[in-house]
Amino acid sequence: MRWALIALCLFLVAPTATRAQSVDPPRLSPGLAGALWSAAQLVPSPVFVTGSDGVGGGLRWQVTLFLLALGLVERPVRSLVVHPAARHAGAIELYASPGWLCCAPNDRTSWLLQLGGRLYLPLEGRGERLAASLGASYYRASPQHGVAFELGVYTLSSIVGFSVTIAPWLTAREVSTALVFHYY
Amino acid sequence: MRAPLTILLFAIALCGCGFAVRALGRTLALPDAPRKLPAKLRDARRPDARLSVLWIGHATALVQLDDKFVLTDPVFTTSVGAISTRLVEPGIDPADLPPLTAAVVSHTHMDHLSFDSLAMLEPKTRLVVLPQDARANLPRYAFETRELAPWQSAELDGLRITAVPVRHVGGRFGVDLAWSPRSFTGYVLEYHGLSVYFGGDTAFDAALFRAARERFARLDLALLPICPIAPREHMRRVHMDPGEALRAFNLLGATYMVPIHFDTFINSDDQPGECGRVLERERRVQQLPERSVALLEIGEQRVLVPRVP
Repeated sequence: MRWALIALCLFLVAPTATRAQSVDPPRLSPGLAGALWSAAQLVPSPVFVTGSDGVGGGLRWQVTLFLLALGLVERPVRSLVVHPAARHAGAIELYASPGWLCCAPNDRTSWLLQLGGRLYLPLEGRGERLAASLGASYYRASPQHGVAFELGVYTLSSIVGFSVTIAPWLTAREVSTALVFHYY
Repeated sequence: MRAPLTILLFAIALCGCGFAVRALGRTLALPDAPRKLPAKLRDARRPDARLSVLWIGHATALVQLDDKFVLTDPVFTTSVGAISTRLVEPGIDPADLPPLTAAVVSHTHMDHLSFDSLAMLEPKTRLVVLPQDARANLPRYAFETRELAPWQSAELDGLRITAVPVRHVGGRFGVDLAWSPRSFTGYVLEYHGLSVYFGGDTAFDAALFRAARERFARLDLALLPICPIAPREHMRRVHMDPGEALRAFNLLGATYMVPIHFDTFINSDDQPGECGRVLERERRVQQLPERSVALLEIGEQRVLVPRVP
């Protein structure tokens, strides 16, 4: 988790870190910005899973397939690259979230997949200081699958958050908690 | 909050941004609450003034032009970006602001565009003016918002607001610097023959200041950022130091200058009070009259053009 945070921080400060000797204001090409954004998406959210099979840890990533911003002045429809304000000011998001589980007592590793939707609600500062989300998803934890429900809270422009996902109808009845990192 | 901040310090250290590490380290050592002002204005309306300015802190200033009030870069929160803590409380409570004709936002950095603070202004203002590319990611508010490209103007009740180009950097979160590269500006406010230049946050660029003077032959007041100063090799690309701000004031040909953008948040190696001291020293070096540069305390209001009965 510590290294994930450090990696996130590196991406956040990278543009200001490229200190040229020039007196011109710093510039960032769209190509480099795209590369930085892509790299930032690889920063995983650490996951802690409990189920009747035991307790495990893992990592989770997320891609925003479609987002309808409910709280912005302009451009309500976004995809993939999503400004944090579009999320935390209130939004409906469709997402895909692959994950990888390890460290279970039975030493089994497995892949998780969530495909779902979530509603973001701004709580403080138009959601910039505090936002929440409610969601539901198709949840596949190989070899099981089913429906899961999710509750999340977010801060720091929704870049950092905490979510709880419950898949009550799985045989193993899994509950996963995640420290969510989602930059842009 | 302390643990993520510590990690952030470490990450920035890896990037070589030593000043940012030092600034965040100093921020961590601050008390949780900003210093209280001994007396805050409850009514900023000055019937005796044609032109007055109240420095609320950082780049936030309340400008009175006759019966119109304009607020610049409204930030009233106790921190910006949840990390940089305010040193001194704002010079006026938002609830005590007079009705505003407009608020102007110079760019989208967190110390200039505060979503929380804009929410506090909903009952106070009818219009918020923004630089180009800034509306796309602005939450919805009760007031009208308008974007202005350089040299474009908006007019409301006889008050004219013109965007003037400055030298800074856009974005809010790092990578969006590439996607909103033009989202910064300065403004000139005009009303009843009075005119005020608001520099927002800018590096020194003689050509841009000369261009502003060519278009606005008479400026009564220039609100100019004077800090951060150090480390200069990093800051000079996007920020003026006090000496450069005074040169800008000269180039603009304004009658008065009110320095802004200092002693409110820690964002550099500058120590509290240092920017004002350097400004005073530079003013003497550049032989500018003392009365032309109004170095205000946070919460201090100054009448620059009195109303003649």
